[in-house]
Amino acid sequence: MFDWLDMGGVIAPFLEGVVSGTAITVAASAGAFVIGLALGIVLLLARISPFGPLRALVVLWVSLIRGTPALIHMLIAYYMVPALFDISISPITAGVAALACNTSAYIVEILRGALGTISYGQRAAAYAMGMRPTQVWTHVLLPQVIYRAIPPLTSEFTILLKASSLMSIIAVPELATVARNATLQTDLPLQVFAITAAVYFVLLFCISAASRVCERRVSRMLPHGH
Amino acid sequence: MAIDFSIVREAIPVLLEGLRVTALVSVIGVPLGVVIGIVAAYSAQSRSILRPIALGYVELVRNIPYLILVYLSFFGLPKLGVSASAMTVAVGCTAFYTGGYFCEILRAALRSVARGQTHASLSLGMTYWQTQWHIIAPQLFGFLIPPTTSLVIMMFKDSAIFSVMSLPEMTYQSNLLTANTFAYVEVLGTTALIYWVSSVLLAGVGRRLETVVGRRTRHA
Repeated sequence: MFDWLDMGGVIAPFLEGVVSGTAITVAASAGAFVIGLALGIVLLLARISPFGPLRALVVLWVSLIRGTPALIHMLIAYYMVPALFDISISPITAGVAALACNTSAYIVEILRGALGTISYGQRAAAYAMGMRPTQVWTHVLLPQVIYRAIPPLTSEFTILLKASSLMSIIAVPELATVARNATLQTDLPLQVFAITAAVYFVLLFCISAASRVCERRVSRMLPHGH
Repeated sequence: MAIDFSIVREAIPVLLEGLRVTALVSVIGVPLGVVIGIVAAYSAQSRSILRPIALGYVELVRNIPYLILVYLSFFGLPKLGVSASAMTVAVGCTAFYTGGYFCEILRAALRSVARGQTHASLSLGMTYWQTQWHIIAPQLFGFLIPPTTSLVIMMFKDSAIFSVMSLPEMTYQSNLLTANTFAYVEVLGTTALIYWVSSVLLAGVGRRLETVVGRRTRHA
């Protein structure tokens, strides 16, 4: 079996690359997710603000992001944004920024869905107790919104991690890039991509399993009827 | 920087030619995938060896990035002695992926139709497949249309990935144009705009179908 895997000892260097590639894939995805979540919270506040044009901007942002391929987001971040503003951006910065913007549009909708499940009475009660709007958000609403959103957010993270493979288009040295380069060097695409697919599968399967556990816990902790 | 609209004017026909290929892949691949998804969903409901195969297939689709699947098929198939054109691989990958996701959509819809109805029609003497065709299937559409619309839009967008195997779809055309003109803002902006308009139109068609089907089911 390992004869098949290690034809002429060319797979071994690839396996070393897999470790660093996987590290970059996971780190970039996690970084993009944290930035995307922060951006998503800001967008949520704008989305429900009383100021109409601001709400419209968020709706447009969500529609634009969701209506265009993630691959195009990569190209826009790496080629179009630098040309537009006359700056230079490293591939990893462009890749993480593109992923963060991409995920923010999906996260804001997830958060809005979660916010919708919190009864208005809670907000009214918090205001009646004399809390300021900021306090209502930081002490009453956001903790519950995030908590209720944990299951869909973890599934959004798996989608993000899959999309992170698109960073190979702009030559970020993550897992898919490592695999692509190894294919060119070894001419063993079946073995290389099968191993790569297996690494992604294990990563994503673990996150999905964790997400199912979270979902059960969250639904148990929530009061019934919500 | 100033936007050069003459480049936009030149780019649009080329990009639309790419959109034709993009659309062709989806138009052939997605219905094929729906058929695979139906087979997989009913296999997953059975108690035979087909069940673990169908469930394993769905897990594969959900946990492997599309790009890796495309690379594996495009570079791997020739090594197995199968020569397939980029178009064939694109249609195959679209069908393979759509099938896995449609299987999940159909399974959720089947769960939404009350169990009691199957028992009732079986006890009335209908066969399993008569029950599925006359009783269950007509009720499924309402549940199927919204997630299927999202799936179609997802597959349409993800077809951009086929540019890595030089299939002349829209993103590939866009890459060629930027390589020749360096007009990233104009070309990428136009490409994104065409994708966006197409997605919005597809979403509109989905909503229209929803209301039509919704009206019909209410009358029934």
